[in-house]
Amino acid sequence: MSNKHLFLKAGLINTPLQNGVGRYVCQLQRVVLKFCKNNGSSRGMRDFIESELVNYAKENPGVVVYLKPRRHRTAVIKAEYLNGDAQWISCRNFTQEEISKWMNLLKTQSNNNTGTRLKKLWHTDHPSIQGPWTPYTFRDPKLNLVEFPNTEWSQPADMTNTSQDDLVELFKKQKIEELNKNRAK
Amino acid sequence: MSALKRVQQWATFARIWHVYDAAWQNPFESAQVLKKYLKGMHKPIYHPMNDCGDHVIVLNSAEIALPGDEWKKRVYFHHTGYPGGASWTLAWELHNKDPTMVLRKAVYNSMKGNLQRRYTMERLHIFPDANVPKELMGNVSNQIRQVRPIPKRLDHYPEEDVTQFPKVIDYPKDYVVK
Repeated sequence: MSNKHLFLKAGLINTPLQNGVGRYVCQLQRVVLKFCKNNGSSRGMRDFIESELVNYAKENPGVVVYLKPRRHRTAVIKAEYLNGDAQWISCRNFTQEEISKWMNLLKTQSNNNTGTRLKKLWHTDHPSIQGPWTPYTFRDPKLNLVEFPNTEWSQPADMTNTSQDDLVELFKKQKIEELNKNRAK
Repeated sequence: MSALKRVQQWATFARIWHVYDAAWQNPFESAQVLKKYLKGMHKPIYHPMNDCGDHVIVLNSAEIALPGDEWKKRVYFHHTGYPGGASWTLAWELHNKDPTMVLRKAVYNSMKGNLQRRYTMERLHIFPDANVPKELMGNVSNQIRQVRPIPKRLDHYPEEDVTQFPKVIDYPKDYVVK
């Protein structure tokens, strides 16, 4: 079993400052594209830079785009977010389409999602409408007046009549019937 | 945390005191019931890592009822740690020495041996009879139901009920009534 999750930052699903309600602020602050000018593994990255990067930068004026050519190294995308998160993606042998999809993801997400362990798969600001449970919710109000210890509240809940009780009941019924008969005479 | 939230937290995690009457009860069955209250497992907020166990006062532990011939057959082992320090005590001997011990050990052994067990046991208050200090009884706000009904003895019925009881059979003529 791996213990990788121990080193992950733990967090909940959230939106910074109600982003998207009223106004939207792109949470991607800076993106650095690192690539090699002649290595084959950076081919897709070079294609992306040639054909799409200028449009990407124009469409997202809030994002700072850096290019960092370096010799004989793998292509890499490094993204930094407004909350201080940094994300590093290895783009070795990626095609142009793959890179443009990754760039779109970085632009649309609000923090480094792959670097966070979600504590829960859901989150709400209002966890309960009726209020949190206390020992006195759902309590039988009859208990308020009971003096403890109490024999009645001590008995098992599923008490049934014993055969002895049944016999006494039968006897009483029989007596009443006899009385009625005598009266009818 | 606001003042209201703080009070809400206190209310949710408040420790409740329960009382349990052990007269005529099997201590090993009772232990399964009591441990849930001691650990707080009856609460919807239960989690092994939150400290939400309740207090339980047990009355009449001197009147527990062991099943079958357990009084004679059940043996409690103790070793002092010195050579020849082993001792075996029968349940009835232990009960004579300390009438709370059989039930206490039953509850202790019903729980898993972890670090919390000693602290959980601290919340169990066992009394051999119904004489409980008033300040303890004043905390109680709930009664735990017994695991089985208390049998009623013939001499505990009122005289009237015994004499009025319907006669089911006639004794044979040669039957000698004691």
